[in-house]
Amino acid sequence: MSTFVVQTSHLTKRYGDHSAVNDLSLNVEQGEVFGFLGHNGAGKTTTIHMLTTLLQPTSGTALVCGKSITTESLEARRHIGYVPENVRLYDTMSARSNLRFFARLSGVEDPDRRIDETLEFLDCRELAPRLVGSFSKGLRQRIGLAQAILHRPDVLFLDEPTSALDPMGIKTLRDLIVRLNREFRTTIFMNTHLISEISQTCTSIGVLNQGELVFRDTIEKVTARYGSESSLEDLYLSVTPVQTQGAA
Amino acid sequence: MVTAHSTSRIGLLTGHSLAALMRERTVALLACLFLILVIVSAYLGWSATSTVNAIYLRSAEHISAQGQTIPPNPVLDTSPLALLRNMATYVSLIGALAAIVIGHQLMAAERKAGTMPLLGSRPMRPADLGIAKSLALIVAIAALVIFAALINTATFLALPEFRLDAVGWLKLTAFYGTSGLYLLVFGFLGLWFGASAKSETVGLLIPVTIWLTLTFVLPQITSNINPVAALNPVSALAEPPASAFFQVTGWALGSFSLAEAYRIISAQLLDFLPANYIDRAVIPAAASLFAAVLGVGGLAARAIACMDMTKGDYDA
Repeated sequence: MSTFVVQTSHLTKRYGDHSAVNDLSLNVEQGEVFGFLGHNGAGKTTTIHMLTTLLQPTSGTALVCGKSITTESLEARRHIGYVPENVRLYDTMSARSNLRFFARLSGVEDPDRRIDETLEFLDCRELAPRLVGSFSKGLRQRIGLAQAILHRPDVLFLDEPTSALDPMGIKTLRDLIVRLNREFRTTIFMNTHLISEISQTCTSIGVLNQGELVFRDTIEKVTARYGSESSLEDLYLSVTPVQTQGAA
Repeated sequence: MVTAHSTSRIGLLTGHSLAALMRERTVALLACLFLILVIVSAYLGWSATSTVNAIYLRSAEHISAQGQTIPPNPVLDTSPLALLRNMATYVSLIGALAAIVIGHQLMAAERKAGTMPLLGSRPMRPADLGIAKSLALIVAIAALVIFAALINTATFLALPEFRLDAVGWLKLTAFYGTSGLYLLVFGFLGLWFGASAKSETVGLLIPVTIWLTLTFVLPQITSNINPVAALNPVSALAEPPASAFFQVTGWALGSFSLAEAYRIISAQLLDFLPANYIDRAVIPAAASLFAAVLGVGGLAARAIACMDMTKGDYDA
């Protein structure tokens, strides 16, 4: 039996003549922390939107935990946790009320016990009674992460999780992602354009350039072949030439 | 197929939507305004009837003392249900506006919260959100109508001169049912454009423009009822001039003139329809109203099911 949690085959999303994602064939194994690297506008978010069943692909197929994102989207969603780039929650409700709502929507039995466990895991139990509207971006991101893992998904999709966070918030979130992967064996699929995020958090990497997958390997092999983080940066720039030239 | 899980999710979303609706000040303000007008209408009906009745009783005593024949009580000449004729106007004006705002807010609050991507990645069918929002709308409008009905029932009980028979109570119930359906049309309009409009302002402006057209413009074209006359429950049912223009417009557009359809049904149920009134619309008023509820409700459900769930907010 396949241990791939995410499998895409020729996945394509077009908007008119423009291909946001083009012929993407990609496998992510169970337990991986996969970093999806690319410039802004490379198609990373569109890919996550398709894999989380929020967006219908133009062509191609994708399976999440063996379930088709188009024909078995309801089943696929049971295995998915999703944290958007800008986490938005119900500001006029407390963190606990928000989490209770999303837990019940995900079919979690005994939501309050699960909320306590999750907040304990994320080390933010004291946030439960507070109104979400009063939270900083970092705290909001943490509750956003909590809502995504309440139902203990098999795969967690994170879209630029550390963007707009301060250095302390970035470190805390990275640690949480690593702990989540180790303790719950949750597969992580993380969009980012930060090399440092990949090198410190991920076990494998894929580089998307103008909607096309131009590089895919494990961090272990990449590091063995190219060495330090700065070399990883050189690798990234070498496989994404078009925008690099444009930016120069 | 609707499963038990799906049903409980719809129930959860409905309750959540209603709770969010109750936190919206604009909705609370308009709902209160509608209910205050219902109370004022009930008081005016009770006060006017009591005054006329008191004057009649005193006059009757005086006339009787003089040994003359007492004329019949004018209050009892009219159907007790006609006391509520102002309700039809309040429902089609402030009630419909409140329904639009309720429907619009049910979607706008969700979109402004920016939680659509979180909802869209949950294990629920695309139709579940639409069903839940429609149920929340139905519950909110039913609450308004039931409150209005209770106030008017209390008014009848406070007027011992008026005793409604079983048919009267049935007609009163049917009037509130009709009013609920009429309000639902506008609630669904709010829901539809709340889900499909690119901006919050446009989402509110389009249904309000449709409401203005249905309430004031169409009746003027089809029946020569000017906007001021449209505010009067009786003059709004005046016969149009017997010209070819109104014959044609009444026949062609009358079926779409929903405010007129509602007034005709209300006047029939509350016993104040002029005896010689002829509805010239091709489709009967009740059929027009049912078709509008089903049609606009279907469009609202489709708009919600087709929403772009990747977008967190209007501008995102």
